[in-house]
Amino acid sequence: MRVALFVPCYVDQINPEVGVSVVRVLRRLGVEVIYPEGQTCCGQPAFNSGFFDEARTIGRRFLDVFEGERFDYIVCPSGSCTTMVSHYYPFVFENQALPDDRERAEALGHRVREFSDFVVNVLGVKDLGASHAGRAVFHTGCHQRRELGILNEPRDLLQNVSGLELLEWENEELCCGFGGMFSVKMPDVSTAMADEKIAALEKSGADTVISCDSSCLMHLGGRLRRTGHDTRVLHLAQILDSDGR
Amino acid sequence: METSKPARRRDTEDRRREGLESKVEGFNERGRKAVRDRKLHDSISLFTNKTLTGRNAQLGAHPDAPELRERAYRTKQETMANLDYYLSQMADAIEERGGNVFFADDGEDVVRYVGDLARRCGAKILAKSKSMATEEIELNHRLEEDYADLGLEIVETDLGEWIAQLAGETPSHIVGPILHMNKERITEILSGVSDEDLPPDVESLAAFARKRLREKFLNADIGITGANFGVAETGTICTVTNEGNARLVTSVPPVHVVVMGIEKVIPKFEDLSTFVQLLSRSGTGQKITVYTNFITGPRGEGELDGAEEFHLILMDNGRSKLLGTEYEEALYCIRCGSCLNVCPVYRQTGGHAYGSTYSGPIGAVITPLLKGDKEAKDLPYASSLCGACTETCPVGIPLHDLLLKLRNRQVEEGMAGRAESLMFKGFERTMKSPVAYKAGAKVGRLMQKPFAKDGSIEGAPGIRGWTDFRELAPLAEKSFRELWKEGI
Amino acid sequence: MADRTKFLESIRHRTRRGRYKPTKSPDSVWTPGVDRPGREEIEDPPARFIEELEALGGHGERAESLEEARDYVLDLAREREAELLVRWDVGYLDELAADEPLREAGVEVALWRDLPGLREIAARADIGLSTGTWAIAETGSLVLEHGPGRGRSVTLLPPTYVAILPADRVLRAVPEAIQKYARGTLPANVCFHTGPSRSGDIEMSLVVGMHGPGDVHVILIG
Repeated sequence: MRVALFVPCYVDQINPEVGVSVVRVLRRLGVEVIYPEGQTCCGQPAFNSGFFDEARTIGRRFLDVFEGERFDYIVCPSGSCTTMVSHYYPFVFENQALPDDRERAEALGHRVREFSDFVVNVLGVKDLGASHAGRAVFHTGCHQRRELGILNEPRDLLQNVSGLELLEWENEELCCGFGGMFSVKMPDVSTAMADEKIAALEKSGADTVISCDSSCLMHLGGRLRRTGHDTRVLHLAQILDSDGR
Repeated sequence: METSKPARRRDTEDRRREGLESKVEGFNERGRKAVRDRKLHDSISLFTNKTLTGRNAQLGAHPDAPELRERAYRTKQETMANLDYYLSQMADAIEERGGNVFFADDGEDVVRYVGDLARRCGAKILAKSKSMATEEIELNHRLEEDYADLGLEIVETDLGEWIAQLAGETPSHIVGPILHMNKERITEILSGVSDEDLPPDVESLAAFARKRLREKFLNADIGITGANFGVAETGTICTVTNEGNARLVTSVPPVHVVVMGIEKVIPKFEDLSTFVQLLSRSGTGQKITVYTNFITGPRGEGELDGAEEFHLILMDNGRSKLLGTEYEEALYCIRCGSCLNVCPVYRQTGGHAYGSTYSGPIGAVITPLLKGDKEAKDLPYASSLCGACTETCPVGIPLHDLLLKLRNRQVEEGMAGRAESLMFKGFERTMKSPVAYKAGAKVGRLMQKPFAKDGSIEGAPGIRGWTDFRELAPLAEKSFRELWKEGI
Repeated sequence: MADRTKFLESIRHRTRRGRYKPTKSPDSVWTPGVDRPGREEIEDPPARFIEELEALGGHGERAESLEEARDYVLDLAREREAELLVRWDVGYLDELAADEPLREAGVEVALWRDLPGLREIAARADIGLSTGTWAIAETGSLVLEHGPGRGRSVTLLPPTYVAILPADRVLRAVPEAIQKYARGTLPANVCFHTGPSRSGDIEMSLVVGMHGPGDVHVILIG
């Protein structure tokens, strides 16, 4: 099994440790990991703000970079960036002068898998022998929940982490309020959304929030720290990579 | 671990200078006031949570739910593709039953038709049942103004809608017009039109309203309703209510006027089975509402109640512009309000923050489509694109995809701010070349140095929309790609 | 003022179909498959009807005969201290033969006929009495067909409302009831009436009997 790693730009620059954990977990499972170094960003920030031309330029570049590699799957530690490639590349390339871009996007889109989805559904692994002491809630990013429909996989993986107590929290399906540029354009509303999640988090008694999306975690984590909480925010890969240290 | 920092003053001016915030009061400004109003927040939660629980129990439990949704979508698709045919069929059916049909290009046409009708009938009291189409064209207000000489008394008869009318407010939710008001406020409003102070209990308030409105029903000269659905084949108007007011205004007054958006037509009577089930289950979490009423033309021969005169106004008001475009699906909406209830943005702000007749995700989609992008510039951005709206929509409108298209339309029309356009041009240049990307990251690391404190970035220009509210993690010392090169 | 022809023509040009050809009857009207009534197994429709109606705060009753129903109406009139009852002018309610006993009990009975001040009578009545064409088990709904002698106001204006119909008129589900009107000429008004009139507009608190009757009784005969 050979996997091309797609590391979202903010993971690359702000949370590189998440990428490192992904590599370690995949290698432990006997997967050959390559990292196409020409990759940058999937273009989602531009796309979500309505700048489709800019998103298409970046998208074409993404297709160029990954089409030039040999792999079985592209694996990405973000439900949101996975969705950009698998769902929204075909969307943004629709009705374009060059119809083959859409076909290219479709073809590549079928081979992109979100990290937990890949581990559980492609590799068939649910127990990684990880351990992590703590009480945690899991936040499913909205793209992961609704576009990708990956709901049980992260839970299956977390159930098998020794020492970890996975808790339920209220209105789990509500968005954390990040929404890319939404968090900056509508900061008051976005923050109110985060605060509702944080209230539910407090009620649950969890000391950690786990997610497959570092972007949601950046938002929730940023607000948690601003409001004086010491709740930890961790990517699923970091938990699976941990051995209880 | 980080200790808490005092929240900084939110400096709107700074963000405006950065060009990220619009200069007019827009969604975020109205939303800011709304999110600080805890009473409002409680009222919204009460309504949305209760309604959603019902919706999930009724629609989630319905064995045919996915099939119904698919069928609704396809029926609407078919209808829109042949809309002129179905409208014409409906008009014929109604005329055959002795009703009158009027085609209105816009609100102006509707106002004139209803006003002239009122003049001809010598009408004084017009009793209305809740109708979003008439809200959209501000029918009440404009009739009172344009036909001031008639001294018309136009009364909303839905309890919530009447209270909103008395307060001079617009509905804040398609289904729950005054969900933003608490009992105390309602007591104040109703006491204002009563001879005595009313006690703040729901029963007394409702009893007062019942008595007042009963007089209006019995003395109304014209009854005005909207239509939840109109059947092309039979000319039947279907109204769906719980209080019985739509049934009263169509049974008692001698004249019945229906104001119906052209998109409300469905081909056959049996199609109602799909739509009635979806609307009540999705909108209020009921299997069926108390009064699901089917009116076909004026009263029949020998009948002693029901309107003697029946008028159907088919209103376009911008709708037909959407036909055959990538936005056509927005016309499939049956106004159940479910997308409002699940929307995490609506749940924070309520309906008035949208500043438009229709709020929530569907409002953010159809307001710019019907009124023009300039009239509702910020509404397509009033969403985190979480997709809960699309997931819940009983007729399968891809609401959040339409919001994305509307954002793009604004960009294409050159409506995006200069700062933002420049930012994304720069973003494009950076991201299309790994060399530029790496260089950018390097510059970022240098530039963040003066702003990095205790593991957070503070006070850097251009990012205050973020940092006024949340901590911002700095760029890591080494990026993933550097770590990869060094070997993991 | 919009002209019908122009209005429809402009719409046609905008529809997907209208671009290529003039509209006639659509080539393939998408016909929804006939609903499978009773997909949810309802073994005893009258029992389910009563269960659903009661859950909504209405009262469902099963009576052996019209005599039993008559007694129910009499008791109810006494209990509600009714002074005036208005009823549909239909044969089935003549058969009920409740008018005389009601009058003897001091309750004035008015029939929905061409009388002066009919609307005021209905508005003043304490009880409205009608039959129902069908009932729907799944939802606890009555299906009311209006026409001569079968006034809408009777079911709407009095605070207490009673409907009497044979138990074999109970259908299983909403699609089945709608199907009954899918062919042939529709009456000017058909209503699916389900339980007491209600409103939740004030703080989601349930108000019963908002504009229509809050006290609803349905008696199934047989």
